[in-house]
Amino acid sequence: MARRNSPEADFDRRLLLAAGAGTAVFATLVGRLSQLQLIESERYTKLAAENHVRLVLAPPERGQILDRFARPLASQRQAGRVSVIPERLKDAEATLRQIAEHIDLPETRVKRVLEEIAASRIRRSGFVPVTVVQELSYEEFARLRVRAVEMEGVDVQMASTRSYPRGRDFAHILGYVARASTDDLTRLAEGRAPEDLETFEELFRHPDMRVGRQGMERFAEDWLRGRPGRRRVVTNAHGRPMEELEQDPANAAVPGKDLYITIDSELQRVAIDRFEGESGAAVVLDIASGDVLAMVSTPAFDPNAFVNGISGKDYAELRDNSMSPLYPRAHGGVYPPGSTFKMVVATAALEAGVIDTKTRFTCHGRMWFGGRNWHCHKKGGHGSVDLHNGIKLSCDVYFYQVARLAGVDKIAEVARKFGFGEDWVLGMTGARGGLVPDRAWKRKARNEEWFEGETLNFGIGQGQLGVTPVQLALMTARIAAEGKHFKPRLIGLGPDVSEDGELDQPLDAEIMKLMKSGMFGVTSEPGGTAYRSGDLGLGGPRLAGKTGTAQVRNISAAERVTGVRTGDAIARELRDHALFVAYAPTDNPRYAISVVVEHGEGGSRTAAPVARDILAAAIRMDSGRTPAYSKRAATKTPDTDGKPEGDPV
Amino acid sequence: MSREGFTGFTRGEARVSAARGVYFDRFGPFGKIARLPWSVILLIVGTGLVGTAMLFSVGWDPVSAAPSPDEANLWRDHITRLGVGFVLMIGLALLPLSVWSRFAFPAYATVIVLLVLVDFFGVMGGGAARWLKLGPIQIQPSEPAKLAVTMAVASFYQRMMPTNGQSPPLYVHGGALLLVLIPAALVFKQPNLSTALALTASGAMIIFFAGISMRYVLAAIAIGLLSVPAIYTFVLEPYQRERVDTLIAGITGESTNGLGESYQIEQAKIAIGAGGFSGRGYLQGIQSQQEYVPEQHTDFILTIIAEEFGFIGALALLSVFAFLFAWSFMVASKNRSWFGRLATVGATSTIAFFAIFNSGMVLGLLPVLGMPLPLISYGGTALITVMACFGLILSAHLHRDEKLSTRGLF
Repeated sequence: MARRNSPEADFDRRLLLAAGAGTAVFATLVGRLSQLQLIESERYTKLAAENHVRLVLAPPERGQILDRFARPLASQRQAGRVSVIPERLKDAEATLRQIAEHIDLPETRVKRVLEEIAASRIRRSGFVPVTVVQELSYEEFARLRVRAVEMEGVDVQMASTRSYPRGRDFAHILGYVARASTDDLTRLAEGRAPEDLETFEELFRHPDMRVGRQGMERFAEDWLRGRPGRRRVVTNAHGRPMEELEQDPANAAVPGKDLYITIDSELQRVAIDRFEGESGAAVVLDIASGDVLAMVSTPAFDPNAFVNGISGKDYAELRDNSMSPLYPRAHGGVYPPGSTFKMVVATAALEAGVIDTKTRFTCHGRMWFGGRNWHCHKKGGHGSVDLHNGIKLSCDVYFYQVARLAGVDKIAEVARKFGFGEDWVLGMTGARGGLVPDRAWKRKARNEEWFEGETLNFGIGQGQLGVTPVQLALMTARIAAEGKHFKPRLIGLGPDVSEDGELDQPLDAEIMKLMKSGMFGVTSEPGGTAYRSGDLGLGGPRLAGKTGTAQVRNISAAERVTGVRTGDAIARELRDHALFVAYAPTDNPRYAISVVVEHGEGGSRTAAPVARDILAAAIRMDSGRTPAYSKRAATKTPDTDGKPEGDPV
Repeated sequence: MSREGFTGFTRGEARVSAARGVYFDRFGPFGKIARLPWSVILLIVGTGLVGTAMLFSVGWDPVSAAPSPDEANLWRDHITRLGVGFVLMIGLALLPLSVWSRFAFPAYATVIVLLVLVDFFGVMGGGAARWLKLGPIQIQPSEPAKLAVTMAVASFYQRMMPTNGQSPPLYVHGGALLLVLIPAALVFKQPNLSTALALTASGAMIIFFAGISMRYVLAAIAIGLLSVPAIYTFVLEPYQRERVDTLIAGITGESTNGLGESYQIEQAKIAIGAGGFSGRGYLQGIQSQQEYVPEQHTDFILTIIAEEFGFIGALALLSVFAFLFAWSFMVASKNRSWFGRLATVGATSTIAFFAIFNSGMVLGLLPVLGMPLPLISYGGTALITVMACFGLILSAHLHRDEKLSTRGLF
């Protein structure tokens, strides 16, 4: 053996020392192990169990939207859906190609799904299904269901999806739902408590969840949405469900409430058909209740296309279409009212006491004022004209004079009493108020004084004045109701529309009677501008109305000499808009209507027949009868839980 | 057993040879292969296979009751690397110590060059430049550095050890320290704190075993302890300081139920504790199967062993490591050359450093530093390095009586 003091012997001693230190380390580690695994094991076992139980969000079923007679307009429908689970796919692209053999799957969609799969892998959420096709046809569903068994990671099942059975008919009223975007989340999060926000985001990320993007779907979002529930499940660290536990009924999702609107969808259909592809708008009101019975804006789009995400190409087509199908004309379209505004001007003058029924003005076909000629639509002139004839013949010169006497501010004041200048939201999005100009407005907006000439233009409903078809219908209803308090509404049973006021500013009943008499003259006395449209064709009831033509272009002096061109002589988008407002029946008014036919040239020729046929249909179908949601009707129609019923006409 | 009375065989081997009637030594490498300590090798490979089984469990999807496709490569990669590592280990074990010693300095020089290259051309990974891209393969020079430094320092002492039976003079130890600190500094700079610590620790162990006076050892320990507050305040990055704070809070029992820095260690503790005495069973760990413990396939793999096989399983694993280290010390003790002795303790220290640090960290006794569990954690370079270290130890066992030159540094 080596000597005792040699480095070799020292080496062995130091080995022993190190071994001793190692033993101490080993003992420490084992001690810690026994502390965790033997002494405190129970506590950690409990912690582990708690770690895994998670309350997973269960999205609520969205409420339906039903019409006046409980016909579904927006409902949840079960549809076949195919999705893939990214973490179970070996080759995502190959699987998608395989799916495409059985169903119609565009190349763009394949690309998009592949992107989503890649994104979910990055987020480590490969267990969350990625939807490939949201709505399969029945044949596709049946075919794919059989094949999917052999395809790893492909899931084919029925899922709830929003559907609009009436398609385009209600596009602008109901709007549509879509997957929540970041903007939607920001909008919805506003004013919410921070502790709700997490749930909120979680809810809207759920693949079955949709958010109202436009129209009533957006306005009544909170009413329709319902409350999400919670399911107790065992999940892994990334939130992937592993095992279902027993559920507490108190935690179940609460479905959204159904929303009834005042529209009669059959009348809506008749009205849309009557436009025969022309662009325009019509609004029908029930005079007694203020209910909107029809609200048409043509052309429209199919909201079903938006529910599961519209393709960029399809959207661009809608957006760039020259007929603007996305534009909600009835409540968001602002037009010069033309001669339909003359009742307002006359009311203003009568209220101000500057004219009476006997006051006459002579029309020579034009009037010299402020250094230029102001023309009447009748070249030769109407001769001596009083109030009744002024309205009946729609004499422009008469109203130039009346407007001058009443003054701009008085006309504007009365116009506001009729509901002009105000947004009538009615529970939708996109409503516009138009513009009622006056001196103060002009100073503020243009920093200019008001010219008297502008008052003349105002008097015949031209110039800066802008109104919506909804406002025109309100005006007509207010006249027909002889100035009584009037509250328009579109939501029958649903959230309050606190944005809208009521039409309750006093309007003299006697003056309104004069207006009605003038409007009766228009349609029912020889010489009236819409004499032929007075008969509703129902063997008795007649309508009373007022025509209007909204100029789209300026007519030059030279053109007046050679004759104002119309029809095929000028491009469609330069032709005048045709307007007509009316109520019926004349003896006991029930329905008021406004119609705008864009570029229809002449209210009497194109707009009046449309209005007549819609009013006739409303009377024939009794659209204003007691709605399904009223308490009286509730006992009669218990079947309001959303099953589509037969077409009751 | 007397070193002078060497007959060419140990008694046991002689018995085996005699029983077969063959003198294996005459048949070159085949004889050597037969003389390898196969029971120890079996233990090493068996531990590696435990790693494979645990990686299979990490990649298991309990819902579909099948391996999850995303993680199926974990155990396949591991067993492949284990195979490569096994061949390498056996190959290295057959190399005589003279060859190891001869290649010590060239290997050391190569590693230094690679480490410098990493500083300039390194590929970034996890916030640090550790990888060097050589055509299709990526290597991490800090891993072979562990072996090369051990070899170089051992070889250095082999040549500098006085022949008069005295301990080497202090300047020799100083030279050895320099050999250790140069690569350690380069690795530290990457930054790769854990490997730099491992290099320094195994280098320090070699210097300790080479017979540096206990005075210096005690002084070094004292300085080390005294400088802890200064290191905490001035050297550590804020995130490292946070880890130390978390650790202290964890040991003292302060609540750290946040999701921040302590989440990983909290979840690890829950997994280990939930394992209990006998564990939840293979593929049955609720904490592990549901992926609550981050980095469970690499640094935190001990948690799945502790959860699925309980205290018994974890204790068995620690015991296997303890046995392997004790056996390696025996090998060192029995070796005839300084190179063999010191290289063995160096290699053992490297492996032990990782085993101890890893389990200490997972058990919440040491701060979280990127330390794999030898043989078990997923990760190719570290596994190959550990197998190579065992190759060196096995070679020291096989060539315990080999006489090495004590002359000349190169």
